[in-house]
Amino acid sequence: MPTATISPLGFPEAVLPESARQLRLDVRDFLDEERARGTVLGRPDSWLAGWDPAFTRRLAERGWVGMALPTEYGGAGRGFLERYVVIEELLAAGAPVSAHWVSDRQAGPSILQHGTEEQRRFFLPRIAAGKCFFSIGMSEKSSGSDLASVRTCAERTADGWRLTGTKMWTGGAHANDYAIVLARTEEAEDKHAGLSQFIVDLRAPGVRIEPIHLMSGEHRFNAFHLEGVHVPEAMLLGQQGDGWKQVTGELAFERSGPERYLSTFPLLVSLLRELDQRAMTAEQLTQVGILTARLHSIRQLSLGVAAALDAGASLDTQAALVKDLGTRLEGALVDSVRSILPTPADPHATPGSHAELLAFALLHSPGYTLRGGTNEILRGIITRGLEQH
Amino acid sequence: MNTHTIDTSTPAIPADDYDTTAFFADPGAIATVTNTTDSQTVPLPTPDASTAELLAAVHEAGRRTVPAPFAETALVARPLLRRAGLSVPEGPLTYAIAPQLTVRHAHPAASAVGSAGSAGEDDTLLVAGTLRRVPWARTATAVVVLANAPFGPVLFTLTPDQAVLAPGANLAEEARDDLHLASVEIPAAQVRRIPRELLEEAELRAALARAALIAGAGQRCVELTVAHTTARTQFGRPLSRFQAVKQEEAKLIEEAALVRAAVQAAAAPLDAGTAAARFAIAGAKTQASASAAEIARIAHQLHGAIGITKLHPLHLATTRLWSWRDEDGDETTWAAGLARTLTADTLWAALTSTP
Ligand SMILES: Cc1cc2nc3c(=O)[nH]c(=O)nc-3n(C[C@H](O)[C@H](O)[C@H](O)COP(=O)(O)OP(=O)(O)OC[C@H]3O[C@@H](n4cnc5c(N)ncnc54)[C@H](O)[C@@H]3O)c2cc1C
Repeated sequence: MPTATISPLGFPEAVLPESARQLRLDVRDFLDEERARGTVLGRPDSWLAGWDPAFTRRLAERGWVGMALPTEYGGAGRGFLERYVVIEELLAAGAPVSAHWVSDRQAGPSILQHGTEEQRRFFLPRIAAGKCFFSIGMSEKSSGSDLASVRTCAERTADGWRLTGTKMWTGGAHANDYAIVLARTEEAEDKHAGLSQFIVDLRAPGVRIEPIHLMSGEHRFNAFHLEGVHVPEAMLLGQQGDGWKQVTGELAFERSGPERYLSTFPLLVSLLRELDQRAMTAEQLTQVGILTARLHSIRQLSLGVAAALDAGASLDTQAALVKDLGTRLEGALVDSVRSILPTPADPHATPGSHAELLAFALLHSPGYTLRGGTNEILRGIITRGLEQH
Repeated sequence: MNTHTIDTSTPAIPADDYDTTAFFADPGAIATVTNTTDSQTVPLPTPDASTAELLAAVHEAGRRTVPAPFAETALVARPLLRRAGLSVPEGPLTYAIAPQLTVRHAHPAASAVGSAGSAGEDDTLLVAGTLRRVPWARTATAVVVLANAPFGPVLFTLTPDQAVLAPGANLAEEARDDLHLASVEIPAAQVRRIPRELLEEAELRAALARAALIAGAGQRCVELTVAHTTARTQFGRPLSRFQAVKQEEAKLIEEAALVRAAVQAAAAPLDAGTAAARFAIAGAKTQASASAAEIARIAHQLHGAIGITKLHPLHLATTRLWSWRDEDGDETTWAAGLARTLTADTLWAALTSTP
């Protein structure tokens, strides 16, 4: 029997620490206060679209930004499972978290792991205070799924590096402070070799940000031109030539979190609010139950990966699996909500009304299965992971 | 053999000859179509095993398509007997949740209060009616029955010889027998009055047992499919090297993992009590039943024609998936039950009630 092939499918059982229970209640209290202020609007996809630096700073005051970073660098020194509880509460509520999203999820952990002591001391406390925001500069016009084909190049100068090239789809570059840029430092036979990561100041001379509007009209991402940008030696992130290893090492964090199945959860809550006004039909009950069971099941898988990360293990295959399942559900949820309570999606309806939230979720829906690596590519990772065992 | 192993002398699954070397000219291409029916016995955990251990064993029984009431014994009948304070008989057990049975006192009191037979001198019962599609009834030592007596819910045991048995089976040819009871007397020693929660717990246990079996059969589908797509060559390459195959195979793997996670997540809530278990188990059975179609569809598609034959063991898993998804409540029933209590204000709280 090929029993051994199953190991990449092993998911640790997640048991949340006792402290998580109180933490969850604290976050709910905080969210109630913020709702009263009018900052938490229950919108879908709030980790892409909910831009509110003041909200981020209030969250940071509670110790809930960069909370898994060590205390010596200004973090709260709490584990990934506690961080998980906080971010799932924020996403479920549709809180505006996009300002700090990338610094909290990726830049912080990456600088902690690969950065110099100087970089850690400079960036991490600022990230944890909600005062320093990052973008990800990976994709390019011809480098999407085939990320290793990036052409942005970094040439050595007397005191650092000179970066030239154009990054695409750079979320938040028009508003953030820094970007972590993947660039080629050496031409190599193996396209995975010779790549390096740099921390680029988005206000440095030679940086030109050009908006790319979403089909909804929103300005969320950009073309990010690096026109001979000077990057000081001290802003190389990690080892020269290790860029590919560093980038792929972060993926388990990026792919398995609750943002991969909760983007459209607020729409389901909105649907129930509509249905609370009337008696649900048998068909509506069934469809709501089917969605809920799937959310519940995917959440268990996602928590399993968080538990492994908390224990120091990395489960890339499992993370890819969670992301494919979760992001497909995000899109399917929009369609189900439409059929459970037929409502014409209307972007001009009263903000926060069901018709408006539906329009918002729908216009964003094609992105769920693209960002962070497309689902087709993830499925290749999943089958490969299984066959290698 | 381990004394806790359930074995049946009449396996319901015909002993197929899976060795199909003669079937194809190229033996390499059918490397996986050999006898993969590893032993169909799985050691039955001792009655005091934890719910998590029981679930793991039932999952394994589902994976190996054990032809016996393994899940019924381990996860439903035994715990219910214990909870009701009755001794646990040796051997394979099964259960029937039967609110439609007619249950009367066998010994009406001389001075009955209320309608005739509504009070008795002891709890000896007269039972009439039909228990439908009882799993493995023909091979079970005893049937645990949950029914409504005039004085409230009861649990009692009967032996299959007390009934007229009409054999039946599900799509996988697993025994599902009707038991006709014509005023059968159940002695008071075999009867226990039970709280209403135990009736609900019985339904939850049955659903969870079925979900765990589905998870096991789902895993079997994954194993067989991965083995097949890596061994079978077409156009000069293994099937698993084709993008289109990878896309489908990954979805199969995901769906199986999803069911397994949902089942695993129900163990702790079941130990904590009925109220905590309701959401997790309704979620697990809904997901398991809803995923069965996709798991079976992809596994068959990727196996090609060989998979739909009796020569290949895939059908052992897929016919069970199609049967088990409907038994002990299909996804429509459980999903509706799951959603009935949810409102905009309680949905998120319910989802975060586990772990
Ligand atoms: C909302 C959003 C935010 C984003 N934010 C950022 C950001 O902040 N920073 C950043 O760097 N990038 C960002 N991206 C870019 C994202 O990472 C890329 O869109 C993604 O990697 C896919 O690349 P592509 O769009 O070039 O598609 P392509 O790679 O051209 O793929 C097109 C289609 O072909 C399929 N395909 C390609 N190759 C294969 C193959 N070998 N096998 C099977 N199918 C294949 C793909 O799956 C896809 O369906 C963002 C994208 C979105 C949608």
